[in-house]
Amino acid sequence: MNEFFYLIPALTVLIGALVLMFMSMYEKFTVKNFIVVSSIFLLIALGFSLADFTESYSIHPYAELINNVLIFDTFSNFFNILLILGTLLTLLIGEHYFQHRSYFKGEFFSILLFALFGMMLLAHANELVTAYIALEIASFAVYIMVGFNTENAKRVEAIFKYLVLGSFIGAFYLLGVVLIYGATATTNLSEIGTFISTHSGDDMILVYIGLTLILFTFLFKVAAFPFQSWVLDVYRGAPMVITAYMASTFKIAIFSFFLRAILQDFAPIIDFWDNIISVIIVFTLVFGTWLAVTQNIVKRMLAASSIVHTGYLLLAFIALSYKDGQVANIDSAYATMFYLIAYLLSALGAFGLASHIISETNVRVTYDDFKGLAKERPFLAAMMTIFLFSLAGIPSTIGFIGKFYVFTEAINAGYTELTILAVMATIVSVYYYFKLIAVMYFYPTKDECISVEFNDKRVSTYAIAFVAILTVLGGVGSAIVFFIPAMNIDAIISLTQTAVQSLFLK
Amino acid sequence: MSSDILSFIIFLPAIVAFGLMLTTRDVNTIRNIAFLTTTVILALVLKIYIEFVPSDGMQFVTNVPWIETYGINYYVGLDGFSLTILMMIAILIPTSYLLLWEGRTKGYWINMLLVQTGVTGTLLSLDIVLFYFFWEVMLLPVFLLIGAYGFGNKVATTIKVTVYTMFGSLLMFIAILYLGVAYHNEFGVWSFAYNELMKITTIEYSSRVWLFLAFLSAFAIKIPIFPLHTWIMDTYKNAPTGAVFLLSSIMAKLGVYAIVRFMIPIFPEIYIEFSVYFVAIGLFGLVYFGIAALMQDDIKRMFAYSSASHLSFIAAGIFSLNEYGINGALYLIIAHAIATGALFLLIGLIHEETGFKTIKDLGGIAKQAPILTFIFAIMLFANIGLPGTNGFVSELLIIFGIYEFNHVLGFISATTVVIGASYMLWMFQRAILQDRPEGSPILKMRDLKIKEIVGLAPWVILVFLMGLYPDVFINKFEPTVTHYLNDILHIGATK
Repeated sequence: MNEFFYLIPALTVLIGALVLMFMSMYEKFTVKNFIVVSSIFLLIALGFSLADFTESYSIHPYAELINNVLIFDTFSNFFNILLILGTLLTLLIGEHYFQHRSYFKGEFFSILLFALFGMMLLAHANELVTAYIALEIASFAVYIMVGFNTENAKRVEAIFKYLVLGSFIGAFYLLGVVLIYGATATTNLSEIGTFISTHSGDDMILVYIGLTLILFTFLFKVAAFPFQSWVLDVYRGAPMVITAYMASTFKIAIFSFFLRAILQDFAPIIDFWDNIISVIIVFTLVFGTWLAVTQNIVKRMLAASSIVHTGYLLLAFIALSYKDGQVANIDSAYATMFYLIAYLLSALGAFGLASHIISETNVRVTYDDFKGLAKERPFLAAMMTIFLFSLAGIPSTIGFIGKFYVFTEAINAGYTELTILAVMATIVSVYYYFKLIAVMYFYPTKDECISVEFNDKRVSTYAIAFVAILTVLGGVGSAIVFFIPAMNIDAIISLTQTAVQSLFLK
Repeated sequence: MSSDILSFIIFLPAIVAFGLMLTTRDVNTIRNIAFLTTTVILALVLKIYIEFVPSDGMQFVTNVPWIETYGINYYVGLDGFSLTILMMIAILIPTSYLLLWEGRTKGYWINMLLVQTGVTGTLLSLDIVLFYFFWEVMLLPVFLLIGAYGFGNKVATTIKVTVYTMFGSLLMFIAILYLGVAYHNEFGVWSFAYNELMKITTIEYSSRVWLFLAFLSAFAIKIPIFPLHTWIMDTYKNAPTGAVFLLSSIMAKLGVYAIVRFMIPIFPEIYIEFSVYFVAIGLFGLVYFGIAALMQDDIKRMFAYSSASHLSFIAAGIFSLNEYGINGALYLIIAHAIATGALFLLIGLIHEETGFKTIKDLGGIAKQAPILTFIFAIMLFANIGLPGTNGFVSELLIIFGIYEFNHVLGFISATTVVIGASYMLWMFQRAILQDRPEGSPILKMRDLKIKEIVGLAPWVILVFLMGLYPDVFINKFEPTVTHYLNDILHIGATK
């Protein structure tokens, strides 16, 4: 196939971002126009990504131009699909919210697409500096979007905390890159991989230090302990839709690059960090759980619980190990990817639904404000319940299957004690998720939260319903729902397998 | 078709429930449709009951892949043991509808239907992940029922019961995964079917004990076995009648069922080794809950303890390692489900009609509602184990079983039955029979309606039928028990 074909999704997003930027110069376009245009570009990109997503390939197009810094394979394509889908769904779910907040102007959508472009680039990156640039494109776009909420005084705190800490941790990354370059004289992942597999002992010290610094960046971006302190305030200050976007889609992008680096190139030495990460997992789970339990604001509770979910993901991450010249427990890479899908759907649904509800008013922020939602809007409450079930890992939702894989693989790799701890965290999570369900269903509505003219027949509602259906189908699978072929759980797993295997194509 | 009949029975209520969710019809129509659904299921179960061959092991099996990568199958089927409980559920649920007939809302009936899917699925699953799936799912409608239609501090209660039971379930979940991984490491393929997991040989002894305890925690909480009973008092007191009925009559029994279905085959040697402790704990629970029941003034709490007391007795029977004890325990599952189910429904009715809920406020019901009193008395005597009722047969069998297991414990168990009789009869005398003292608030109680009598009639008949002709019923599940003792535990069936 033509090499250019593989570049199309990323280029479409980039062109879309530029087009939207030009459009934003004119006053005559409404927010609705922007949503439509960006959706169209996203759909085109998605269409091209879906064209060959079951095929296993790995190519370096235009080698003389791009010089191997970007790689195009099934793995990156898999993540591209998730990222585009995440962005598209964010856009559609947020449609209601965008239209009722005056601060959302045209350039917002341009920035959203730039963020997506950065993330997609990150999924393709095969070189440390390129990855850094991609990461910063995405991060800066997200910084700006976090600060978009001009009506909220908290935004200043949010954007500053995120910007300063994010840039600070970015410096760690660069220092790590420098050290690795000092040892290996290259920043290309494949060449570093070759270096690692041929050297040992003293030659490796700088590489270990450098990679540890890069690991810090990773832990910061996915909000693992002890780098989690920004999450609550940033998530709280950001516009609700952006919180949804950060919690679900951005996390996937981060995982895409580091999963690639670990599986493809750094595999021989990954066991070096097992102890560190084990400790980090323990603290991430305990601390995240404690934070989530003590929150009184739903948005902060969801934010805190996303830390706990990071803990589960890291659990699948350390289950990877290296033995006899190849990656052992490769299944846990599939588990990680499956869990990312599960978390994308449920977090996007939960955050997005919360944003949908508060679109026209500014209430419904604390648990109290959710009282009586089931009587006022039974369908929205039912969908929120589905998402919360999924986050809590209750069977019949995709969250359960995700947890099943992650825990199975962790036990398989011998981390039984950590799994027990993770299950304990799950038990507590049942408490704080079910509290919200209880509040929605078992209390009368508060008077000031009733909005009479709320019209449910709009894009946001349908998008949320779509995510809810995916959440349930992904958990029930095809065998129980009378053989509906779509959304087969095995199909998703085999997709993740094809994607991961493409990393090892030479 | 005949092999898919179980799937049909499992999913019909859920499908109907989702259909009803979307309609805007009035409550009466919804209730009638729900009731019709349960009677259709009853008819289907009767059909299965007739076609079932006791000596054939697993029947009506459906086994299709669900998640192939991990060897998880949609694997359902039934043997004599599950058939008996399936029959019990199929009879109890529609008749309970007749007693709950008036004054419910749409959500109530939808949740009742969803529970039926959950409990039937739990009962018929033979793949342990599928079992876990239904085991968790059956809890969710109960969560909504208690929270939405309960009394008193209902929200705290419903969150407490949910987190409490999930605690046990999730411990079991780890154990399930551990077993699956062990199977995978030993045989190179994934499987979670119970008959495959039985073949695991590589897990060392100490791990097996922990796994056993993890499984037990899930089931002991549901049953409940002392000391994991602390959730039941608030729950039974604050929950609506339907939820109490479901929890005590059906879900608690599924805990016992799951011990027999999964724990005994997978951990036979630990089951044998630990049995003496569990018989002792069971008997202790019997006495402890019995004495606690004597001291209760709230009538629902009293029944909560009484139910826990009987279930401890069932647990003691299950662990008694011989045919008498296990047969008796299975028989008591049915007997207790009928008797307690009826009593809880009648208590719920009395509570809703009069507004009183403590024993000392009640009294003088016998004069106003003679038929209710009559049925109440029958169920009470069945619960105590009066000769001629099914309770007698089952308690006698369990006492035989425990006696054979250990003479001392056998003597103790024989004497403890007195406690049950004392708190039941004392309550009956105070709350139902005795005249109201001068000056106490007026109590108005209607008698049972025709519909309710029709609903309870099969239960009354069953009480005596099962009491007088136990062979007919025991023959259905006895081969399964014999199979367990001979082929799985290798300790031989005594007869």
